[in-house]
Amino acid sequence: MAASMDSDRGRTSGPEMATSFGFRKVASGEKQPLVNEVFHQVADRYDLMNDLMSGGLHRLWKDAMVSSLAPPRAERRAFRVLDVAGGTGDIATRIVERGGKATNAVVCDINGSMLEVGKARAAKAGLGGRLSFVEGNAEDLPFPDRSFDAYTIAFGIRNVPRIDKALSEARRVLKRGGRLLCLEFSQVDVAGLDKIYDLFSFNAIPVMGRMVTGDGEPYRYLVESIRKFPNQERFADMIREAGFSRVSYRNYSGGIACLHSGWAI
Amino acid sequence: MASEPAHALDRKLLELLVCPLTKTTLEYDAAKQELISRAAKLAYPIRDGIPIMLPDEARPLDDSDAA
Repeated sequence: MAASMDSDRGRTSGPEMATSFGFRKVASGEKQPLVNEVFHQVADRYDLMNDLMSGGLHRLWKDAMVSSLAPPRAERRAFRVLDVAGGTGDIATRIVERGGKATNAVVCDINGSMLEVGKARAAKAGLGGRLSFVEGNAEDLPFPDRSFDAYTIAFGIRNVPRIDKALSEARRVLKRGGRLLCLEFSQVDVAGLDKIYDLFSFNAIPVMGRMVTGDGEPYRYLVESIRKFPNQERFADMIREAGFSRVSYRNYSGGIACLHSGWAI
Repeated sequence: MASEPAHALDRKLLELLVCPLTKTTLEYDAAKQELISRAAKLAYPIRDGIPIMLPDEARPLDDSDAA
């Protein structure tokens, strides 16, 4: 199975992502409900599964993303971040904990189940005042032009049907000088590691998913959707096409994950 | 209420939100817990303190919703 995947890997263009659900081809408009169902099924155990799937690496990648963002620590310097597809508050919590008191984050996710988990966690952590939660669509954000200092999205853009639309919405809501940071699984660029990675992800991950959440199918989707996502260079081009400047990227763990950065200038 | 940070931010959030379709400002109906877009003729629900800014989940406005 893994061998046949190689030819497909990272080759998908943006428009094709709108009609691919993992390796299945679906009609336009069908992807979003299917993705929603995946996340409804896994919401309460999502972060635990991420730990198992990545051997805890996702925490390091997310920490590195927040370090790269470097929210200001100054108490009075207001800094407003929009974290998209971050329903459980994973990234937003890291950002407000690292920034000063005037750093706050709005979490916007299309999935109500993920948001409920995030809101409950934020209240428990005493961060309710600095995190807010909104159910919304990355392709049609419910925010005005130039309203955020940063836009973050971690392991979320892959699940958006029309990536070009989400990127142009990101550009629209960012203030002048605002920054886009996008963390996503990407293309492994280390010889040997790619084979091991394929074996692990197509075999072990759905099994772990079934053990933890009772269903392997949602995780099969996650693995397949990773392979379909545009590779580093191709995704950087899409970010440039959306109007971002000084676009760059940095691989983590041999390209298993990659952080893309762009500026709204 | 102004001294309660959670409410203060929620208020800030409500002021920040716009209609996802028209990008126009919204009216907050505290009694119905809805955010009303006159431009799109839709009322977006707020459930458990979370605004649901999805047109598919919104209630179409009718004559009884006249301003």
